[in-house]
Amino acid sequence: MLTELSDLPFGATAIVREINTSAHDLNCMGLRIGKELKMITKQPIKGPVVVLIGELEIAMGLEIAGRIMVETGTDI
Amino acid sequence: MTGGKTEMAVLVPERGTTVLMIGNPNVGKSALFNRITGANAIVSNYPGTTVDFTSGTFIGGGRTYTIIDVPGTYSLDPRDAAEEVAVRMLRDYPDAVVMIVLDATKTDRGLYVALEVMERGMPCIVAVNMMDAAHEKKISLDIAALQRILGVPVVATTATSGEGVRDLADMLRKAKVADIGAIAQRMRGEEPEREPAFTCGGCGGCGGR
Amino acid sequence: MVFSSDARWEMVDEITRQTVTYGTYKQTLGAVLGDLTVKPLTGIPVAVAALYAFWSVFTSFAGELVTDGFMVKFFDGLWLPWFQAIWPDPGSWHYFLFIGNPAADTCFEAFGMLTSGLFVSVGVVLPAVFVFYLMMTLLEDSGYLPRLAVLMDTVLHRIGLHGYAIVPIILGLGCNVPAVTATRILETKKQRFIMMTLLAIFIPCGAQLGIMMSIIPDLIGVVILCLIIGFGIFGFVLNKIIPGENPEILVDVPPYNWPVKEYVIKKLWNRTKGFLKEAVPFVLLGILLVNLLYLGGVIQGLANLFEPVFVTWFGVPKETVGPLIAAFLRKDLAIAQLSIIPMTAYQMVASVVLVTIYFPCVATFVVMLREGWKELIAAIAVLFVVVFIYGGLIHAVGILLGVA
Repeated sequence: MLTELSDLPFGATAIVREINTSAHDLNCMGLRIGKELKMITKQPIKGPVVVLIGELEIAMGLEIAGRIMVETGTDI
Repeated sequence: MTGGKTEMAVLVPERGTTVLMIGNPNVGKSALFNRITGANAIVSNYPGTTVDFTSGTFIGGGRTYTIIDVPGTYSLDPRDAAEEVAVRMLRDYPDAVVMIVLDATKTDRGLYVALEVMERGMPCIVAVNMMDAAHEKKISLDIAALQRILGVPVVATTATSGEGVRDLADMLRKAKVADIGAIAQRMRGEEPEREPAFTCGGCGGCGGR
Repeated sequence: MVFSSDARWEMVDEITRQTVTYGTYKQTLGAVLGDLTVKPLTGIPVAVAALYAFWSVFTSFAGELVTDGFMVKFFDGLWLPWFQAIWPDPGSWHYFLFIGNPAADTCFEAFGMLTSGLFVSVGVVLPAVFVFYLMMTLLEDSGYLPRLAVLMDTVLHRIGLHGYAIVPIILGLGCNVPAVTATRILETKKQRFIMMTLLAIFIPCGAQLGIMMSIIPDLIGVVILCLIIGFGIFGFVLNKIIPGENPEILVDVPPYNWPVKEYVIKKLWNRTKGFLKEAVPFVLLGILLVNLLYLGGVIQGLANLFEPVFVTWFGVPKETVGPLIAAFLRKDLAIAQLSIIPMTAYQMVASVVLVTIYFPCVATFVVMLREGWKELIAAIAVLFVVVFIYGGLIHAVGILLGVA
C-alpha cells in the first residue's frame, strides 16, 4: 500500500517508492528510492519526523515527508 | 586490511602539495586532520561549524604538504553556504590532491561525492575512516576490492585511535587520477584496456601509466 | 567524463554491493540513548535538563566561584587600591582615562581602562565565556546538538528558521561574532537575514550574561524573559514580511560519541584564544573611547539631545544614554556602567533590555558587514524599528503593571 511518509506510523517500516521533492538533497542524505526505512520519531504539533535508513538517521520537516511516497505492508 | 602495501618506485609528477580533505559531514574528517597535522583545528561532529576551513602542514617523504580540512559536503551540487565552500575550494586548488574521507558505516553516501570528485580528474586517495564503528556494527569492507575498482589508493583508518593514519599519510604521494570510465567497467567485471591495476596486483598505489 | 546523478548512484550501489557486507548486531547503548533523546516525550525533558545543567554550571562556576569568589576580591581589594595609590594626579585627564573615578570602591564604578576594563574582560567575561565554550564544545562533540535541533525545529520553524538555528543561537549566547558566521548553515537568504537580525537584537552574549549575573542577579530572569518574548514576536513578524523561502529542516542525525579529551581541549583553547584576541582589546579601547567622549562633552550633549525619547518613550533615566553609546563598543561594559546609575527595578530591566537589543557591538558589526552590506543596512533599519517599538512596549507593560 502506497502512503505518504508523513502518515507512516511511529515504529513502522516501509520502502521508498517516490520522491516528489528536492530529490537530489534527499538522495545525498541517503534517502533513495528502493531503500527501506523505519519511522523513529514524529515530533508533536507538525514538527519534523526522524527516520532510520540502515545506519543513517535523518530528520526532515513534515512537508518534505508528505512528498515522499512509501510502500508498506509487503512484509518487509 | 590496509591497502597498497606494495612499495613501488613510481614517479608522481612534482605537483600536488596541497591536499584537500573532502567528505560528508560527521565522517571524522577533522579528527583525521588533527591526527595527520597535529595542528590546531576545530573538530566537530556536527555539520556546519567547520564553515571556515582549517589548514595545517604535514611533512612526509621529504615533501611538505598543506592539508586543508574542507567543510563537509554531501555533493558538489551544494545546498548551503558551507557546502559551497567545498566546491569553491576544489576550483581554487586545481592542482591539489584530494583526500576523500568516507565513513566506513555509511560508505554509499560518501561514495557519491567521491565519484563527483573523481570525475573532475583530480588526483585522489581514499580514506575509509571510522573502521572501529564499522567493526562494532559488524560491517565488513573489502578494502582491496574497493581499491581495485576505484583504481586509487584506499586506506582503512580509525582517526580516534590513530590506526591507519600513518599509512594514509605515506600514501599521499601515491594519489592518482581516477579514470571514471574504467571504474564503470571494472565494476561490471570487465577489465578496461591498459588497466594499471592489472599489472601490479591491484594495489592501485602504483600510478602505473 | 561526467555522469548524471542517477548513473552515479547506480555506480555507488554497485560498488557498495561488491565491497560492503552488513552483519547483524545488537543495538548499542548510544543508539538507544540516541532514540530516547530525539523522541519528544523523553527528549524534551532531557533537553530542558541539559540546558538547565548548562546554565547552572555557567552561573555557579563562572559567576560564583571564579568571578565573585576570586576576581572581585582580587580586583577590588588589591588591583584598584594599588592603582589609585600609585597613579599620579587624581584630577588629571590621564587618571580619568586609565584609572577613572578616584573615589571608587569597586572596579565597576571606577571605569578606567586599566581598572574596569581589565576587570570586566578578564575577571567577569573571560570565566563566563570559557565555561560557555566548554559546554558548547561538549554538546557539539557528543552529537547531542543535532538532536536538540530536531526538538527545537517545531518552534523555530514557526519564525522562519529551522532547528539548526539553535546553533547560532547557542553560539550567540557565547559571542555573536562566531554566531554570525554560523548563520551560514541556514539555507536561504531570508533565513540568514532573520537569524542575523534576531541575533544582533535579542541574543545577549556571554559577556553580557556574565555581567548581568554579577550586577543584577535578581532581575536577570525578567530580562531574559523579555528577550525571549521579543525574539518570538519579531521572529514571527519578520517571517511574515520578508520575502523568500523558508525551507524545512533536513539533517543528518549522527550517532553519539564520547568527546575526545584532546580535541575538546584544543577547540576550547582555540575559541578562548579567539575571544581574548578579538574581544579584550575592544573592551579596553571601548573604555578609552567612552572616557574620551565624556571628556569631550559628547556624551552629555547626546544625552541632552535624546533625553525626551528615553525618558518619555522608554521610561528610563537620561543617564542611560551614555551607556547606550558605549554599548556600540561593548555591550557588557554598558551594562556595567548602568549598574552604578540609581534606578528602580523597572528602569533597570528596561535599560538592560534596551542595551541588549540596541546596536550590536563593533565586532559583531564587522562580521555582519562581511556577510553583506545590504543585509547589514537592512538589519540596522529593522533594529531601529524594533528598539523603538519594543522599548515602548515594555514601557507600556510597565505602566499597566504599575511599576514604571
